[in-house]
Amino acid sequence: MPIATQTVLRLDHVSKIYGEGESAVEAVHDVSLDLEAGRFIFLMGPSGSGKTTLLMLMGCLLRPTSGTVHIFDEEVSSLAEARLPRVRRERVGFIFQGFNLFPALTALENVEATLNLKGYRGEAARVEAGNLLARVGLEKRVDHLPEDLSGGEKQRVAVARALAGNPPIILADEPTGMLDSKTGRLISEILRDLAHREGRLVFMVSHDFRITSFADEILRIEDGCLKEGDRD
Amino acid sequence: MVSIARKNLFHDKVRFAVALAGISFAVVLITVQIGVYLAFRSNVSVLIDHTEADIWVTAHGLENFDFGRPFSEKKLYEVRSVPGVAWAEKYLLAFGYWKTPSGSQETVQMVGFDPDTMVGAPWNIVAGNPQDVKYFNSVFYDEAETNRLGNIPIGGETEINSRRVRVAGMVRGARSFIQSPYIFTSFNNALNLSFVNKGNTVYVLVKVAPGYTSQDVKQRIRETVKDVEVFTSSEFSKKTQDYWMINTGTGVALLAVALMGLVIGTVIVANTIYTSTAEHIKEFGTLKAIGASNWDLYRIIIEQAVINSVIGFAVGMAMSYLVVQGFKRGHLQILLPTPVLTGIFILTVLMCLWSSVLSIFKVTRIDPALVFKS
Repeated sequence: MPIATQTVLRLDHVSKIYGEGESAVEAVHDVSLDLEAGRFIFLMGPSGSGKTTLLMLMGCLLRPTSGTVHIFDEEVSSLAEARLPRVRRERVGFIFQGFNLFPALTALENVEATLNLKGYRGEAARVEAGNLLARVGLEKRVDHLPEDLSGGEKQRVAVARALAGNPPIILADEPTGMLDSKTGRLISEILRDLAHREGRLVFMVSHDFRITSFADEILRIEDGCLKEGDRD
Repeated sequence: MVSIARKNLFHDKVRFAVALAGISFAVVLITVQIGVYLAFRSNVSVLIDHTEADIWVTAHGLENFDFGRPFSEKKLYEVRSVPGVAWAEKYLLAFGYWKTPSGSQETVQMVGFDPDTMVGAPWNIVAGNPQDVKYFNSVFYDEAETNRLGNIPIGGETEINSRRVRVAGMVRGARSFIQSPYIFTSFNNALNLSFVNKGNTVYVLVKVAPGYTSQDVKQRIRETVKDVEVFTSSEFSKKTQDYWMINTGTGVALLAVALMGLVIGTVIVANTIYTSTAEHIKEFGTLKAIGASNWDLYRIIIEQAVINSVIGFAVGMAMSYLVVQGFKRGHLQILLPTPVLTGIFILTVLMCLWSSVLSIFKVTRIDPALVFKS
């Protein structure tokens, strides 16, 4: 378990430019962040403000044009491409707005497949997958395909999948965006508990003003630049 | 372990069926064409391959077995005098015209052998006594040619080259490649019935004595007997096969169709796997996001290709079996030895793997932002 108040994710003067020359677009400009374990952080901003780009930089899906990204003490922004999957496997769990579940796999298999990626095998993987789904209240829906699940249930499967392998960092891209308010609050509660009770860093991009009360801190981004927000 | 490849394949049943259809079609086409090619290749030299002879002596300049030309039978005695020759016998092959009950004529190839030694005799008699060819103008024919020759039963009579012949029996497995049926009879009968002059033979068959090699005796015969060609049985067999398969283009045509099947199968499977990958691209992107390496993604695609190939091969083989049975009822041969089937299986797997290359390129270049689009 990561220790509370420890910095788990640090961005130092990170910028990201897409394209070159006259067509170049600076999606993120000079962002510096120290993010601690046990915190539930929101990032809010208008469309095109750089939220998704910042999330991808934090999750090692993109390499910054300048600046550095550290996960714990490891500088991940300069790692070779072939080594980044390991970082994502061991350190980061993703939750997506569109759930991104594998439609041919049951809820259990969706989580189990992720555990397989992270080194779990056979019965151990199956049992752990069952445990993760039980933590999000889906123990009775494990054998259902995504097409048979409600939006909230799908997102809970996605949360269980993100927890596979016990990553210290959870990055969530508008996880309540396709859910009704009640279900959105349920998901937000789960994510908040992951931060407060389990000591993870949960960083969530969101447009959803209905759930801002769950956040410890709200960061705002506009035109690629970070602005100070409300603090807990 | 959860097999994402297997789950994705069987989840989309229609696409899986399309891919299977493409692979099975390719397998059937390749299998049948190669089987026909091998059968033809074996068939053109069937008489050479079923004699006991180690060496064949032929007229000078001969291109293949079916176009044998007569030469003096004195050469037989010269051959017999060569050290290392255990025995040598005359053998005749000549074209003729068989009269059917309806009055039409079928071109036939008369095969004349010595009934005392039985060298060059048919090897699979299904009816009649082969010694009966000693009787005047008594003949045997292959049962597969029964319809063609007018359904003349054993004991029935007809004409070859306007001379009366009697059917004394039937054989199996001696169907002629060039589609003129073989008619087996004694050497003397064949000489009487054909236009070959007395005192000639078309081939001399030679058995090598113990302690000598075929190449050695072949060389000795070449040095001793003038104005003839001398081949070992395997050389003559190959020469005849190469003539029909390569020089006439028959083999090339058969193999070209097999190649076409391979190309069509590859295109269908590649298209199916590629569109499947494209439709599942977000899943591949998600896998990357949650920590899969490129090789993890390649493994999924390759596993899908292998599953496709194994099941497609099995279905294709089942269909090929039905085709082969149909061919057999039509007295057409298909040869499919186990090594060939193994080779076709390997080819099927390679075809499916090759079909995956485009998909592998695609997943290598996945845009990470893709997974964030709802």
